[in-house]
Amino acid sequence: MASTAQPERVDVRTGQPVAPHVLRKWLRKFSKSYTGRVVVQGLFTIWAVTTITFFLIRLMPGNPLDIKIDQLQRTQGLSYQEARARAAGLFGFDPDQPIFEQYVVYVGRLIQGDLGQSITSGGISVSSEILQFLPWTLFSVGLGLLVSFGLGILIGLAMAYWRGGILDNVMTVVSSILYGIPDYIIPLLLIIVVGIQWGLFSPGEMRGGIDPTLTPGFTPEYIGSLFKFALLPVTTYVLASIGGWVLTMKSSTISTLGEDYINVAKARGLSERRILIGYVGRNAMLPLVTRLAISIGFVVGGSVIVEELFQYPGIGRNLLRAINARDYTTMQGMFLVITIAVILSNVGADLLFGLLDPRVRLGGEGDDT
Amino acid sequence: MIGFSTVATTGGFIIGLALGLIPLATAIHYRKWRAGILGYIACVLSGFACGFIGGIPVVILASAVVISYAYINRQDPFTSLARLDEVDFEETRREFFMRQMASLGSVLRATGRMLQRNKAGFIGFLGILFFVIVSVFGPLFIKYEGQPQFQRRQPGATSLFQGPSAQFPLGLDWQGRDVLSHIVHGGQKLIITSVVAGLLATAIAVILGAAAGLLGGLVDQVFSALSNLLLTVPQTPLLIVLAGLIRLDNYLLLAVLFAALNWPALMRAIRAQVLSLREREYVEAAIALDLGMWHIISREVFPNMVSYIAVNMIFSIRASMYNLVLLVILGLVPLTEPDWGVMISMGRQQGALFNPSASAMLLAPIAAIALFQLCLVLFTRSLEEIFNPRLRSGL
Repeated sequence: MASTAQPERVDVRTGQPVAPHVLRKWLRKFSKSYTGRVVVQGLFTIWAVTTITFFLIRLMPGNPLDIKIDQLQRTQGLSYQEARARAAGLFGFDPDQPIFEQYVVYVGRLIQGDLGQSITSGGISVSSEILQFLPWTLFSVGLGLLVSFGLGILIGLAMAYWRGGILDNVMTVVSSILYGIPDYIIPLLLIIVVGIQWGLFSPGEMRGGIDPTLTPGFTPEYIGSLFKFALLPVTTYVLASIGGWVLTMKSSTISTLGEDYINVAKARGLSERRILIGYVGRNAMLPLVTRLAISIGFVVGGSVIVEELFQYPGIGRNLLRAINARDYTTMQGMFLVITIAVILSNVGADLLFGLLDPRVRLGGEGDDT
Repeated sequence: MIGFSTVATTGGFIIGLALGLIPLATAIHYRKWRAGILGYIACVLSGFACGFIGGIPVVILASAVVISYAYINRQDPFTSLARLDEVDFEETRREFFMRQMASLGSVLRATGRMLQRNKAGFIGFLGILFFVIVSVFGPLFIKYEGQPQFQRRQPGATSLFQGPSAQFPLGLDWQGRDVLSHIVHGGQKLIITSVVAGLLATAIAVILGAAAGLLGGLVDQVFSALSNLLLTVPQTPLLIVLAGLIRLDNYLLLAVLFAALNWPALMRAIRAQVLSLREREYVEAAIALDLGMWHIISREVFPNMVSYIAVNMIFSIRASMYNLVLLVILGLVPLTEPDWGVMISMGRQQGALFNPSASAMLLAPIAAIALFQLCLVLFTRSLEEIFNPRLRSGL
């Protein structure tokens, strides 16, 4: 798709005759195109994070391997060689190899999706642990973001349309406050004020991801319980992110309302409703759609404390558990997965923006906008 | 403890009393009583708070304001009170000094007016001032309770937690200690660490951004790639993982770490500004007129960026405080009491979250952190107005 985007611009820029080799030609076009730049940058970031994590864990003073060897020697009375061999098995690499070879082996395994074995829960691979916890986070974060995005768009649109009204004044204050306070304040307030002081729900019962007595299946009780236990994290994500959506949508709508094509649409005698939905809403949403993709990544990253406070069995809480238990392979694997999720959503946002707004895709010419 | 202590001391009080005489004497000389008394109070308070470090800048600023009320600029008969026959461009060194002080003072007065113009921003400013004053002067009046107070156990109560009462307005914590004393004593290190981290991040961003924008080439590419990398990696998991690998028990180390994570956004903005300013006509005109590097930077380039830098510095302070409190609440940095974050973290460990009579003990630090962060965000609105050259020239 990208290779056909702008064939003549590449030639103008490089000023060189077209390379004879088809693959090389395609590669050059790809790396010069918008899509190519975004994808290459994403891949570079993933590589950089993987490499930094690898060397951080192995080369730091008092690194996890030494700690584990020492621990095995003390607790199980193993000799240094035995402890070293076992620790190496747990971490999934051979410590006698030179560091560069270890790195090559590590990257090779990573590409195959092998993140090693969990140190604390023996015999379980890190990837299966991640597969177990990731759906919870994706479910709660995805639901929370969709709800807050939808609500934020509607409220922001209404605020801009009836500017200066009661809704506008009240919601501006509320959104500014929600935007200004740190997001981990919200779950704490939910538990203390709504749960304990007002007694609207019992925080102790709402811990966990689902009622453990239910058997999994597509039964109404099971799905109902799924939503019931997700209610608190989802509410938190909604409250934490809605302020930003409302304020951005409001200012975006106000600037769209002043555009010439809105006046033209009014002059053509189109109905208010049609102008609001088809002309204002669609264009005002443009900057927000890409922010949605970016914020998916950030909310996944920020889910640690929300999941910890509600004891929700997602990846954030288990990352924290792995860190507290000094389970470095799990920690490394989960951190990589979260980072890759964030990078992918960033790349997705960039590509989506290019798709929705052709000015971006065409490169630097549109700087005056 | 980073840098200087900000606990009010008797020595600082005496320093403040002595230094405050300078603006007071200036005011008596010019018969500007109200400005003089206000300046004296400001000097005493700031000297009280930080000794010479706080006292001397405030003495200069207060004197400048007092002088600006009375000063008649004899070089400028149009906007000052000078009569036409008084106009005189010859000036002694003393008159030059007075003119500089007066212009500094009038800038300060204009800043004060701009500050009050945006209501939300002014509320934010007052809020920040409130927390700073409470943290600095509060310890004089409220003694810190570090030891468990078992004798305060209510008959029949299962824990030492207590809700608010007349004697303890914010209740008691799990060891029966006064929560108010922890609030008053617990903000200082948090605020100072965040401010140090914010200043550091801003300095890194300005230097690297200017370097990348001016030098271009390889420097630009390296720093841009680095900033891109840091911007994409999710901060919270990164911090948590780092806290698991490194022992983060030192405030200075934490401030440096937050600064190292917070500079990229501002650096990119500054780089873009420098690139765009380089092409502007008025900058080219100034270069063509050979006005000198210092003049170009301070008069043409800097005023266009200072609003952005100031606002971003506040956001970076806010992000540092956010990160610090987050790490503390999760129990990943072993910090000591008294500290707002440690109060929440310890309260959670001691079961305060699910104990109705312990709510006050948790709500107090939560409110303090949330309000401080909110005030920082609100304050940026005033900063935008203060530093916006277009708005300021309208005065």
